Amino acid sequence: MDKLKGILKALLQPLLAIVVGLGAGAIAIAIVGGSVTETYAEMWKGAFGSFYFFTNTLSRATPIMLIGLGVALAFRAGFFNMGSEGQMVLGALSAAVTAIYLPGPAWFKLVAALLASVIAGGLWSAFAGWLDARFRMNLLITTLLLNYIASLFAGYVVSYPLMDRSGSAAMAQTVMVDKSVWLPKLFQGMSLHAGFLFALLGAIALAWFMRYMVKGYEIRMMGGNPLFASYGGVNRGRLMLYSMFVSGGFAGLAGAGEVLGTQYRYLDGALTSPGYAWSGIMATLLAGSNPLGTALAAILLAALQTGGMGVERNTDVPLEVSSIIQAVLILFISAKFTYSFFKKKKKAGA
Amino acid sequence: MDQLFDVSLFASTLRMITPILLAALGGALCARVGLFNVGLEGLILIGAFSAIVGNHLTGNVWLAVLFAIVCVLVFSLLLAYMAIHLKANVIVVGISLNFLALGLTTFSLRAIFNVKGAYYDKSMIGLPKWDIPLIKDIPWVGDVVSGHSPLVYLSIVLVACLQYYLFKTVSGFRLLAAGQNPIAARSLGIKVTHIQYGAVLMCGVLCGLAGAQLSLGQVTMFTEGMTAGRGFIALVATMLGQSNPLGVAGASLLFGFMDALSTRLQGYALPVHFTMMLPYVVTIIAMFFFKDKSYLAEARKANESSR
Repeated sequence: MDKLKGILKALLQPLLAIVVGLGAGAIAIAIVGGSVTETYAEMWKGAFGSFYFFTNTLSRATPIMLIGLGVALAFRAGFFNMGSEGQMVLGALSAAVTAIYLPGPAWFKLVAALLASVIAGGLWSAFAGWLDARFRMNLLITTLLLNYIASLFAGYVVSYPLMDRSGSAAMAQTVMVDKSVWLPKLFQGMSLHAGFLFALLGAIALAWFMRYMVKGYEIRMMGGNPLFASYGGVNRGRLMLYSMFVSGGFAGLAGAGEVLGTQYRYLDGALTSPGYAWSGIMATLLAGSNPLGTALAAILLAALQTGGMGVERNTDVPLEVSSIIQAVLILFISAKFTYSFFKKKKKAGA
Repeated sequence: MDQLFDVSLFASTLRMITPILLAALGGALCARVGLFNVGLEGLILIGAFSAIVGNHLTGNVWLAVLFAIVCVLVFSLLLAYMAIHLKANVIVVGISLNFLALGLTTFSLRAIFNVKGAYYDKSMIGLPKWDIPLIKDIPWVGDVVSGHSPLVYLSIVLVACLQYYLFKTVSGFRLLAAGQNPIAARSLGIKVTHIQYGAVLMCGVLCGLAGAQLSLGQVTMFTEGMTAGRGFIALVATMLGQSNPLGVAGASLLFGFMDALSTRLQGYALPVHFTMMLPYVVTIIAMFFFKDKSYLAEARKANESSR
């Protein structure tokens, strides 16, 4: 009974936030002169209207989920990892390069590419963690700055040394990955690929790790009360390196999934322009860094985005309406409104 | 080498630095009252967009700047209310504010101007260029210092004003006290909450000015996400300058120079990617040499948990 109450209480806040977000969206729709009901109906159809649209939403949710999980782990430990974008880009680039240039049988290439993406993303992220642990350089800022450096570096690699010169299109991209190394599609003719299974497994594994493993407990302690954790003998620097590595590894894997499952090559800007990384961070914030919740929130955000595309196709309302809904959602979640309603806080000081 | 370091490089440094400097001063004020404002990026973006909208509606540059300040004030009020009143984690609120700014500006771009990506109006008049009498006649110096938008000069004046305010006036000392030790400050009867609100709102004014300089200072246009990380660089400048107006000005000068240099280097045989990387790399190197001070660490410790 108590458990049920706890679950309900945990769900109340996100549900409230969703209602408020949709309300803000309705206002925005009304301002541009669209019909609110019609727009939301189109949004629903664009996200879940048919099996095709449903799998489309899930495949968009895949990188968001993976990134969100990684960020959730770091947030849980109290480390603000804002560098998912750079970690994802480097992971994607490494996966593409490995899959294209490594000799050997196809299954070996696939496994190596996935591993390479995790290692590349993880190292990039751990580098920022090391700068913080060793030199006290603010992690939030370094990870942000490293994003720009990673994206520009990857852009350079596919514009000059590894550019695809086979076709007539002079785009900044690598050559196509061989068909044998592609991640299999889950349904014939749909965009959903095996990467989604990684994301699901990752969510379950991370939830289990946080709950039942000693390291997971240490991470939660570090986030909950750093002083208590260090008193209990948790080494902050080492924990930071580990958790940042895993966190970046998730982001790298997200990049690999996109390269091997959707685009089959690394195309400059294809990962950064949809804003997967920021959506992942939003999903984490929405779910309060709970792994399973993050997975659900990722699907919700992906549905808002694909639904927004449906709105764009069939009505005069711009698709940016979904980004307003998302932002209001997050803003509402970040302040614990429900608390302030239930517990009248005493005004401090003034 | 002579062509690389010519007059226009230093002149454009002054122009590039202004948005960063204004926002960094705002960030410094927030940091001084114990709020680590990550929402600078979003605030500048709102400022840049509303300056263009104000200009479009009124046709007067000064009213446009005023309009930008008012719009950003609303959003900084939101941030202050959430962080101070609702006790939300400042960093999380700042991040979500950045999301909101990006979403709102792209949506409004479509809703108001019916364009995607960028809005550009040939007939729109940007900020005027002011020549300083006497100084403009000095060779070289005149070319660098004179002939900028009023906001550039305002930012320089503001540095001196803030430096004086923080370290030479009673109310400035109260602000410092409120950030250093809120509990002790409260026991002396200092209204800490009011001071925090004041600092965040002032930061909003500064970010509004920064945005106006960004969208009306050089070319009068707005592009989606045109801040391109400047808000975060301003945040670094705040930290490097140890929230000291003069230090912040020095740090911003470094970044502005790097920004101008990276634009200039594109004319050389270097790949664009590396020249664009320059400001970010230099920022990280600079962070390595300047550690932030203890009170920021204190503020960070208070915010270390993300739940």
